Amino acid sequence: MSEDKNIVSRRSVLKGAAVGGAALAAGSTLSAGSADAATRLKGSTVKWTTRGGGATGDKIAKAVNDAFTKKTGAKVVAQQVNSDDFQNNFAQILQGSPDDAFGWMAGYRSNHFGEMGLLADLTREIGHLKPTLSAAAIKGSTSPVSKKPYILPTTYYPWALHYRKSMVKDLGMNPEKINNWDDFVKLMTLTQKKGLVGYSLGAKGGWEAMGTFDILNARVNGYKYHIDLLNGRAKWTDARTKETFKYFAQLIPFMNTNFMDISWDGMRDLLLQKKTGAMMMGSWFANDFKAKSQADYDDLWVVPFPEINPKFGIDTIDAPLDGISVAANGKNVDGGKALAEFWASPEGIKEAIKAGDTNIYVSKSFDTSSYDAFNKQKLAVLASASNIMFFLDRDARGDFAGPVVGPAIQSFLQKPSDINKILENVQAQWDALPKN
Amino acid sequence: MKTAATVKKNRSRRSLSKTDRFTLTTFVGIPTLLQIILLWVPAVVTIILSFTYWNGVRLKDIQWAGIQNYKNIFVNNPLFYQALKNNGTWLAFFVLIATPLGILLAYQIDRGIKGHAFYESIYYLPVVLSLAVIGIIWNFMLQPGGFVQGLMGRDIGNAISIWGNAKINTWVILGIASWRHIGYIMLLYLSGLKSVDPALKEAAAIDGATDWQIFRKIILPTMQPVNIIIVVITLIESLRAFDLVYIIYGSPTIFPLLNLLVFQNFAGQGISMKGAAYAVILLILCIVPIITYLRITFKEDLK
Repeated sequence: MSEDKNIVSRRSVLKGAAVGGAALAAGSTLSAGSADAATRLKGSTVKWTTRGGGATGDKIAKAVNDAFTKKTGAKVVAQQVNSDDFQNNFAQILQGSPDDAFGWMAGYRSNHFGEMGLLADLTREIGHLKPTLSAAAIKGSTSPVSKKPYILPTTYYPWALHYRKSMVKDLGMNPEKINNWDDFVKLMTLTQKKGLVGYSLGAKGGWEAMGTFDILNARVNGYKYHIDLLNGRAKWTDARTKETFKYFAQLIPFMNTNFMDISWDGMRDLLLQKKTGAMMMGSWFANDFKAKSQADYDDLWVVPFPEINPKFGIDTIDAPLDGISVAANGKNVDGGKALAEFWASPEGIKEAIKAGDTNIYVSKSFDTSSYDAFNKQKLAVLASASNIMFFLDRDARGDFAGPVVGPAIQSFLQKPSDINKILENVQAQWDALPKN
Repeated sequence: MKTAATVKKNRSRRSLSKTDRFTLTTFVGIPTLLQIILLWVPAVVTIILSFTYWNGVRLKDIQWAGIQNYKNIFVNNPLFYQALKNNGTWLAFFVLIATPLGILLAYQIDRGIKGHAFYESIYYLPVVLSLAVIGIIWNFMLQPGGFVQGLMGRDIGNAISIWGNAKINTWVILGIASWRHIGYIMLLYLSGLKSVDPALKEAAAIDGATDWQIFRKIILPTMQPVNIIIVVITLIESLRAFDLVYIIYGSPTIFPLLNLLVFQNFAGQGISMKGAAYAVILLILCIVPIITYLRITFKEDLK
């Protein structure tokens, strides 16, 4: 990223904060709007599900839900569930007796269920929150098919290149400036020469390597081609897709040889133990660095993945958007909607942050000047891109991303020379999917 | 004639007392009913669904797919053939190595070799663990950063690839599965051996039969009921393998098994009736050999 861009992005961040101030002032209308909700909900019970997060997750949920109870008089019954289990059984949970509101993910994962009538339409609530949300956040929460939002956006994080500043410095490079492909390759080469892993990748779970594929495809062929490809409007057998895998193949010699044995936590540990030069990963793992020591956290840095094709520069990033959804079959849909709106409102976010949430929020109401250096850099990385992808398994349909693309990338990593056959097969499996 | 027949019929009916009839209805009727509701109905529904496109949510979304799901599996999906190969290797390994080893151990322990009680408890130990727990234990030992890797002085960066290494992972997994299977078979066979009349063996020995002859000509035939159980168990355990591999990998993509593919296509976001088609394929693979085997053995028994 160039210095100029940094300045621009920081400026826009500041601008965001200023707008946020205005939004807080406008907040009075917000609370006035929900005042009648308060009298309506008094004495009712709303059920809430926290998706993973351990003790911190529970603490945050309690803080926000208690504030909601204080405001509306509605009782909140909360539970925490295992994130993977909740995700795997989501369709069944929604058809059974689901909790009224819960943390969930934007993109295909909410649109799909919303369009089937399992998640509540949140048009009214997103309307209330509009002054605090960017157009991109609203667009990201809205189904392109039904044009309705099924999630209220709260937090997001960049999938970008992470490394340790101290290690880059030891190699005689400038840790703030891993700007282009040459810097990136130099970093990997020098790290590897020291007997460490140049570029760490996990592929055990089948999804971790999708992050690298997403960004390479966006850098080589652009955002539009990538989204077209994931939705069947471009072909996997296209020469352009093959070009992306050519770049991917260039990374393999720098990778840890046991990539099929490790998952995202293995990648995290490699960086934590100073055994790798760089990796593509969602910034959420930074909490674990902080848990280990402040010094480790301060050493961690993130930059946009370098440019490959000058036509597209660094204009695209994977930035999965998380938020709150409401079950359409819940016992208290009205209460669920009010609770979801509270979680996504400036009031709710304030409570969450007070309780120890380190995520960055899409709400413009939050004063970003209190962010630490790493979080500010995350914002700068996000601001450097004008196109937001949600990650492959949220941008593509569920019966394709996990069962087809994941294994295909794994096969490619194990035998890069088979790529033509692998891509033909992926295309054949796309063609065999039922079209709605 | 007519009246006689009626009388006879009535009499045979009357020969069942009230309590008998009640017991019969309870002990045969209720399980049959449960069997039909919980097993046969879902099985038939699964077979029907395997010929449709559906995401498992709204009934009105079901579309007729013909044989498309099967075609997709047989023609386009490389994971299916890998899974067939893995399940096949699993079965062959169990039939040729693990099960015979279990029988051999049982035979040796039954003969009362020195320290047999010690061996018995050692081999039996893994049987009390579920395969899921066994998966957790061995994953803890062999994964990068795991105990065994640590003993070899390897950290996560240069750990030996085991689970992800296609050259060895099959044999490592089968070794772990056998670790439990051998003990299980040994236990089953041992309980059978205890009921073989020692006089038979003694008589054969007096007649000059060798150990191998005694085993083949005396023990194996008298153990026929246990043999049937063991063959069926070995077949089913190999084809339904799931938990061990699921715990280690979490997804079917590196070491696919038929059951993992059923699960992947039925659970979560990826839900499609390809999962049903996989389930039907697995059902046929399980049922056909078992029924064939049982028919052959029972026919021999009738002779």
